[in-house]
Amino acid sequence: MIKLDHVFKNFGPQKNAVNDLSLEVADGETLVLLGTSGCGKTTTLRMINRLLEPDSGHIYVNGKEIRQLAPETLRRSIGYVLQNTGLFPHYTVSENIAIVPSLLQWDKAIIQQRVITLMDKLRLSPAEYADAWPQQLSGGQQQRVGLARALAADPPVLLMDEPFGALDPLTRISVRKEFKALDELSNRTIILVTHDVEEAFELGSRICLMNEGTIQQLGTPLELLRRPANEFVAAFLAPQRLQLELKALKIKDLWPWLPHQHSPGQTTALSADQTCWEAMEAVISQPILVQYAQEQKILDGSGLIQAIAAWKN
Amino acid sequence: METKETLFDFLQQQSGKLLEQTLTHTGLTFISVLLAVAIGVPAGIFISRRKKISGLVLGFAGVMQTIPSIALLGFMIPLLGIGPKPAIVALFLYALLPIIRNTYTGIQGVDATVMEAATGMGMSRSQLLYKVQLPLAMPVILAGVRTATVINVGVATLAAYIAAGGLGEFIFGGIALNNTNMMLAGAIPAALLAILFDWLLSLLQHINIRKTRKMVYLLPLIFGVLSSFYLLPDTYRGKMLAGFTPEFMGRKDGYLGLRSVYGLHMRTLVISDMIMYKAAYEKKLDVISGSSTDGRVKAFDLVVLEDDKHIFPPYYAAPILRSATLTKYPALAPALNRLAGRMNDSIMTELNYRVDYLKQNPETVARDFLRSQHLLQPTGSGTEGTIRIGSKIFGDGYILASIYKMLIEGYTNYAAVTKTGLGGTKIVFDALTNDQIDLYPEYTGTGLLVLLKTPQHITDSIIGDKQKVYDYVSQAFKKEFDIVWLTPIGFNNTYALMMRKADAEKWHINNISALTDFVNKRQ
Repeated sequence: MIKLDHVFKNFGPQKNAVNDLSLEVADGETLVLLGTSGCGKTTTLRMINRLLEPDSGHIYVNGKEIRQLAPETLRRSIGYVLQNTGLFPHYTVSENIAIVPSLLQWDKAIIQQRVITLMDKLRLSPAEYADAWPQQLSGGQQQRVGLARALAADPPVLLMDEPFGALDPLTRISVRKEFKALDELSNRTIILVTHDVEEAFELGSRICLMNEGTIQQLGTPLELLRRPANEFVAAFLAPQRLQLELKALKIKDLWPWLPHQHSPGQTTALSADQTCWEAMEAVISQPILVQYAQEQKILDGSGLIQAIAAWKN
Repeated sequence: METKETLFDFLQQQSGKLLEQTLTHTGLTFISVLLAVAIGVPAGIFISRRKKISGLVLGFAGVMQTIPSIALLGFMIPLLGIGPKPAIVALFLYALLPIIRNTYTGIQGVDATVMEAATGMGMSRSQLLYKVQLPLAMPVILAGVRTATVINVGVATLAAYIAAGGLGEFIFGGIALNNTNMMLAGAIPAALLAILFDWLLSLLQHINIRKTRKMVYLLPLIFGVLSSFYLLPDTYRGKMLAGFTPEFMGRKDGYLGLRSVYGLHMRTLVISDMIMYKAAYEKKLDVISGSSTDGRVKAFDLVVLEDDKHIFPPYYAAPILRSATLTKYPALAPALNRLAGRMNDSIMTELNYRVDYLKQNPETVARDFLRSQHLLQPTGSGTEGTIRIGSKIFGDGYILASIYKMLIEGYTNYAAVTKTGLGGTKIVFDALTNDQIDLYPEYTGTGLLVLLKTPQHITDSIIGDKQKVYDYVSQAFKKEFDIVWLTPIGFNNTYALMMRKADAEKWHINNISALTDFVNKRQ
């Protein structure tokens, strides 16, 4: 879907902002570009919608070299979410959301329908907010409008640059939760830039950890934790290691080590696709029934911890 | 004396003219601002994209702004002649800087994140401009338009000097004629226009962002309508065009007399005497009001029309001083009187010709003249006090002031300084009465009609006789202002109508009655 092939970019004579970067993102995958400030992650993102041009190398979107397309055409087919939203202060909420469909000259009625659908999905009541000005919204609401605007023309690819970076920690967690649950995002190819490790592990199907313009490791969250490619990766993840493991590890990953307990009559309250972190939150109050591959197990605190310990060894 | 006319009376009498001038003034202001918007906004957009040349363009517009307005109008005359064209161009140049600069600043000020979002969503450059940059920069651009409009309402008063009309006609006429009501009738509406436009544009500027978008289309329309005011008063036009100084327009011995005594009704423009003669020579004007001894009559091949019904009173020049000055400096009057009777019209015309046309220094001309009259003496000690000599802003004044300076320095032990270029009669006379100058050469006719405002019946009884006028004026000045007239110098610098010699010969016009017949026949 998206492919970067030996991409170089520098802004000054000293060192390359992006140094020989190659990666591929599969359809429907969420790739997180993770790293500290100045590691080249945002530069990489901005090259994909041609806000920056690479010095050398090739970038393909949907199998097409992006320089074969007019930049406007390319950008209209790619959703773009910015850290500070970049909402137009002179456009209402609904006008902001409608920008790209209008550029694509969609029929007015269709645009309006699409705006209402998106506002509903993002929990922005159209009656209340459609004609509001962006300045009148809270930070979380503005970010949701920014997301709706990026999704409006139904682009197959979404680029997100620190989308939750400007929000306070509490709002960030709730917006992130909504984001994960949003069906609009489930089949899209997403590249998301963040410096927040926790966010990367929570949202990424794969993570690309970058430093000084090069990829340090590209893999699933679990791969990064279990088999760090180098010292940098290990050190980067060390401070939050336990929490990250619990967030990366899914119940189904632990299935073989979970004790066989059976107690009919209880209903399942967790899916096996949920993380250990969520499971631990749940089992604090009472044991919980989990179903996976036609098999049911009762999960309690000690069983869960033993299983994690067994998995780690 | 007649009962004094109030400002209100004046406004009532001149309401038609006031309306015409106000409309012209509004039109001049808005045509030039509209042009400046048409050029300045694209220029501002252009330099916001090419930052390298922004300094150059803003610098150029800034330099335009620093040129004194009257000088800028002066520069325009050789290029564009007189009338509305040069005035509009000059006003346009003044309006340019605030508009370019505010457009540039406004566009630079658009939030970088908003610009990145707009680009990232796939807007083209023109979509960025029209949908994002211009709407968001609009309040700042409007602030620039507002500044430009207010500047131009002020500068447009000077347009009267180059025959473009507007409220400056009253202002300069009022200054020239010592008529406070006329001055205020121009100045107050001009100030009110500035306040009104500033207020209206401030409303626009602070209007809701949403409505501003519609304003983009509405504003040029409003400006266009206001600009068209300029054309309204210009509906009647005869074939002959006369250019008169503001002073001449309002005087009984000027255009008012021409109308009442000769029945001469022409299409007239108000124009500064500095450029009037050249404009006549260049066929921009057909008839002008000049002074009979002006050097440019000779230079530009003009001919003075005979005043066959004697409406122009005698204008014999003589130095005038406060009585107190004569007491304080007893040697002064004999020195000044050495010039008495030494000049006739043709000598003065010749001296003026050398200064006005050959561009010789007034001091050189004065020295040559004194030498030829054997009046040039080595400079005295200058230790017994300083005499301040004033003059009006045209040729005679400069030359006479220089001559008097040399006479005083040569025949007394006083020092002398000249303060030339003191504008019109009112300014220089006020300077004399307020002890800012000690003497200046004045004309008997001006004293009679402008400074004394002599009642009509007295004027009529003495106007034909130069000696009677001189006697009346010197007595009345002594009584009313305690100011003394010394002996006249000898030349008569009276008002005169003049036209191109070739035209006068072709149409057999040699006096004002003949001109009146000719004009009435052609209209």
